[in-house]
Amino acid sequence: MDSLINQLKLQIIDVLNLGEMTVEEFDTDAPLFGEGLGLDSIDALELIVLLEKEYGIKLASPAEGKEIFKSVRTIAEYVSKNRKK
Amino acid sequence: MNISVTGFGIVCAIGNDAHAVCCSLMDGKSGVAPLRYLQSAHKELPVGEVKLSDSQMKEMLGIDQDKVVSRTTLMGAVAARQAVADANACLAGKRVRLVTGTTVGGMDATERYYASMKESDEYLYLAAKHDCGSCTDDIIAYAHLDGAEGYTVSTACSSSVNAIIVGAEMLRNDEADIVIAGGTEALSAFHLNGFKSLMILDEKQCRPFDETRAGLNLGEGAAFIVMQRDAPDAIAYIAGYGNRCDAFHQTASSENGEGAFLAVSDALSMASLKPSAIDYINAHGTGTPNNDNSESTALKRIFGDKMPPVSSTKSFTGHTTSASGAIETVICLLSMTHGFIPANLGWKNQMPGGITPSTGESGVTLNKVLCNSFGFGGNDSSLILSSRPTDVEPNPVKPEAEIIAEDVVTDAAELGELRQFVSPMESRRMGRLMKAATLTSLRTLQKGGVECPDAIITATAYGMLEDSEMFLEDMVNNGEELLKPTLFMQSTHNTMSAAIAIRIKCHGYNITYSHGSRSYEMAMQDAKRLIALGKARTVLVGMHDESTPTFNGFCRRLGQPEPVALYSRSVLLRAKD
Repeated sequence: MDSLINQLKLQIIDVLNLGEMTVEEFDTDAPLFGEGLGLDSIDALELIVLLEKEYGIKLASPAEGKEIFKSVRTIAEYVSKNRKK
Repeated sequence: MNISVTGFGIVCAIGNDAHAVCCSLMDGKSGVAPLRYLQSAHKELPVGEVKLSDSQMKEMLGIDQDKVVSRTTLMGAVAARQAVADANACLAGKRVRLVTGTTVGGMDATERYYASMKESDEYLYLAAKHDCGSCTDDIIAYAHLDGAEGYTVSTACSSSVNAIIVGAEMLRNDEADIVIAGGTEALSAFHLNGFKSLMILDEKQCRPFDETRAGLNLGEGAAFIVMQRDAPDAIAYIAGYGNRCDAFHQTASSENGEGAFLAVSDALSMASLKPSAIDYINAHGTGTPNNDNSESTALKRIFGDKMPPVSSTKSFTGHTTSASGAIETVICLLSMTHGFIPANLGWKNQMPGGITPSTGESGVTLNKVLCNSFGFGGNDSSLILSSRPTDVEPNPVKPEAEIIAEDVVTDAAELGELRQFVSPMESRRMGRLMKAATLTSLRTLQKGGVECPDAIITATAYGMLEDSEMFLEDMVNNGEELLKPTLFMQSTHNTMSAAIAIRIKCHGYNITYSHGSRSYEMAMQDAKRLIALGKARTVLVGMHDESTPTFNGFCRRLGQPEPVALYSRSVLLRAKD
């Protein structure tokens, strides 16, 4: 799980252009949206593309992402259960 | 003074002329259907295509079949020609302007020949026909609007209503005698995939304002109206309008619909009308969960529990994006002249908190009609049409404008200074040009001592070319899957103007001109007009463009000057006391 979490952090930093952030600074349990990191609906769409591209997971609507994208840990848990690649 | 509408033309999914469109509306016949003309892998997505091939339109316009002409231009020329014929207007010896709203410009042709253009010269000429402004110039040529001066507005899905508003202001300011205004937008794989990447397309027929609505169906088309001052044989009058910015988000509307609320309020106040005077509202009503919520809230804030009949006609035409404002203005004109309210097709289930749309009515009298048109970036505009003259007098004072501050960036090395204003987190999606535009805008406002100007006007020939090109490259090279929404979002040319408004929370007038090297002149004219007509006292005008190695390669091979890699200039205008 830890290596998946690390990998996800690197991928998220890359696709969302969070260039100034390091994996160490990236809190695994902090909320990604709203008061936490402050991501928005466009970032959520980029995360959906990321899940499909890297893990073969297809989400039908942004609404489905709400629970999954709470934090890096929730994404990692979802990915490990549902990944196709 | 009255701005009279003396003619109109239209081509869209439900008809190739006004008569056919009117019949489809009255019969409740939708034009949304499976893909037929557009080359795209996404056969699952229903679309509102114009039922004419490029070849048929070329034949109608007398254009050589061997020549590749963008569908945006072809549809625009067909509709503009109809409008001028309908108005029976003699253009000779008059000051004539064609004001077009478009966003994709010649993208439908560019995407088909992009790979070829990189390798051979056969279709290289399309590189010079790609931008929005050259579509407008070609419409003038193909519709034989000899002597007309072209202007191009690009504010995403509200482009063509803004073109009509700008045209009306030109007449009020006595800059022209006849204005042909409207818009045109062709379906392209670029656009279809862009909207798909934003996950706002419905795979079924769209259902605006329905509880089960799941997105929009993309459409295409063109419509133009002819406007003159105080014409004796007017079909209707432009009684009022409002152009405002939601200043909330690049692709989403605010929950309280502030931009829409302000645009409708301005239109009512310009027309000196109470909300109760409105007989019908043609809503923007795209069918996305977000738009229909936000628009319902805005309408309820204005009309309360005395809501006039409302319908969205996008379930007939699909969402024709940039052209939708003009197409729906013509639909309003048809409703007024034929006495009917078009149905909000597909509506069955009341959405919580939403308006209850009309399922269609005939035999009604419509004297005052409101048409809403909203775009990405929160470029929200509204128009009120009246069957009777309304006598809106222009500002008699006509103040002059002076430049009080300016700032220029041409070197990407300077962009680090943006840190003073914007955190790295906030600039995560900003490309080079967006950074430059934001920096020069904010520094200009700072120098001028103005926190929030009354209006923001932007000029750009190609918009954020680097992002648009990356999206196109990805689509052409890797196919129509997994494309990046961030890149698409930046491809609409109004994205810089909107981003600045969002940053400084400026809900004022907001517009983008995209007409090649003349864009800046158009933006400055608009700023001075706003000041002269008493609509603004401070206006931020920006001119922002960038280039890429691929695009410069095309220019070099065409023997044209290569654009500079980065140029951003902002100026602050103020009314002289």
